[in-house]
Amino acid sequence: MTINDLTVLVCDDSILARKQLMNFLISIGCTNIIEAANGTMAVEIYKSQKPDLVFLDIVMPEKNGIEATREIMEYDKDAYIVMASSVGTQTNLREALKLGAKDFIQKPLNTAQIQKVLDTIIEGGC
Amino acid sequence: MYTQFLGNYLLNKGYVTKEQLIEALQYQKTVHLKLGVLAIHAGYMTASQVEQIHIMQTHKNERFGELAVEAGFLTQEQVDFLLSSQKPDYLLLSQALVDKGYMTTAQFEKAMMEYQSEYEITENDFTDEQSDKVMQLIQHFYKLENDSNSELFSQYITLLFNNIIRFIGKDFTPHEAVRLSVYPTDKCVTQKIQGEFSTQTAIDMNEDSFIAFASRYAGEEFTDNDEYVQASVEDFVNLNNGLYVVNLSNESSIELSLEPPISQFDTQLNENIEYFQLPVTFPFGTVNFIITKTKI
Repeated sequence: MTINDLTVLVCDDSILARKQLMNFLISIGCTNIIEAANGTMAVEIYKSQKPDLVFLDIVMPEKNGIEATREIMEYDKDAYIVMASSVGTQTNLREALKLGAKDFIQKPLNTAQIQKVLDTIIEGGC
Repeated sequence: MYTQFLGNYLLNKGYVTKEQLIEALQYQKTVHLKLGVLAIHAGYMTASQVEQIHIMQTHKNERFGELAVEAGFLTQEQVDFLLSSQKPDYLLLSQALVDKGYMTTAQFEKAMMEYQSEYEITENDFTDEQSDKVMQLIQHFYKLENDSNSELFSQYITLLFNNIIRFIGKDFTPHEAVRLSVYPTDKCVTQKIQGEFSTQTAIDMNEDSFIAFASRYAGEEFTDNDEYVQASVEDFVNLNNGLYVVNLSNESSIELSLEPPISQFDTQLNENIEYFQLPVTFPFGTVNFIITKTKI
């Protein structure tokens, strides 16, 4: 599997945060990127397009990232969800990992962390 | 962190004007610390001794250190120590003001002594930048000592200033806090923190400053107040509050959560609670950071 084969869902209520993450993904060769601005959209898009990787913010209107993780994992227990949030509290970490999120990245995001997530997926052939 | 408070002190005591301070804050990025300022700061030389060496330098082609040793003002060990020791950040501002001719070395010496004595700060505190000392400085500066929320406020403000320095820039000066019951907004982003206690936080400024602040945070040059600008300021508020909530969770086992940030332009914040306004001046304008008294 290469980065070209990956479909990535970027879910964040901040249009700027989405743009910055997407710009980085594009810069390293990722071409299949889908955007979502809240948890409700993320769940709907996941069900219809089944991306290989989901970056999920936590604090969002309508449906937050924890609730969205729960619904996505109920739908697909093999979903590869990485939380990307400024609120990496013990409670949020525990909750997200218990629900099945694979990783938790504390904002501000740095590109090395994102690259590591992608390397893990590509090496694992998910 | 001390640089910004020293700037406020110099401004309030009339040592410099607002324009001079802003210019020096911008200029300090390129400034090189000179031995004279370091020697005064370390207490090795007086301002008049430094001036004597400066005069000697005008007709002798020797370095400051060499002349000071020859004159018996410094030992070679002291010169070596000054050159090799860690330099506190705020000295760059002092050097910038001296270089620009806005302060003399004698005024710098006097201001430093007064400032350190008034804020009960020792030379070591400046170098260490220890967080508890910073919190003490903030409590004293904002007169929080007798406030029931003193610790939470000072923790919050300490983190906020660290994040301003980290993500927006060092070139700001804090001003004294204003307490209000109603806060009229201009271009404002608010965010509520809830859980074991609740508080509302906000950041407010005029449109030009809003765009400039957003540009600095995003690392992009914005020109219009569009959705990216709004998102950038919201992201800063969310990041700062997120890190605050994480710190309290890790260090004090206090669990809080955040509501999404909201932009509230040209309206009023009025929740029957005291607003604590912390104005901070950047070269691009004044930014007001606001926190409310907590509801336990």
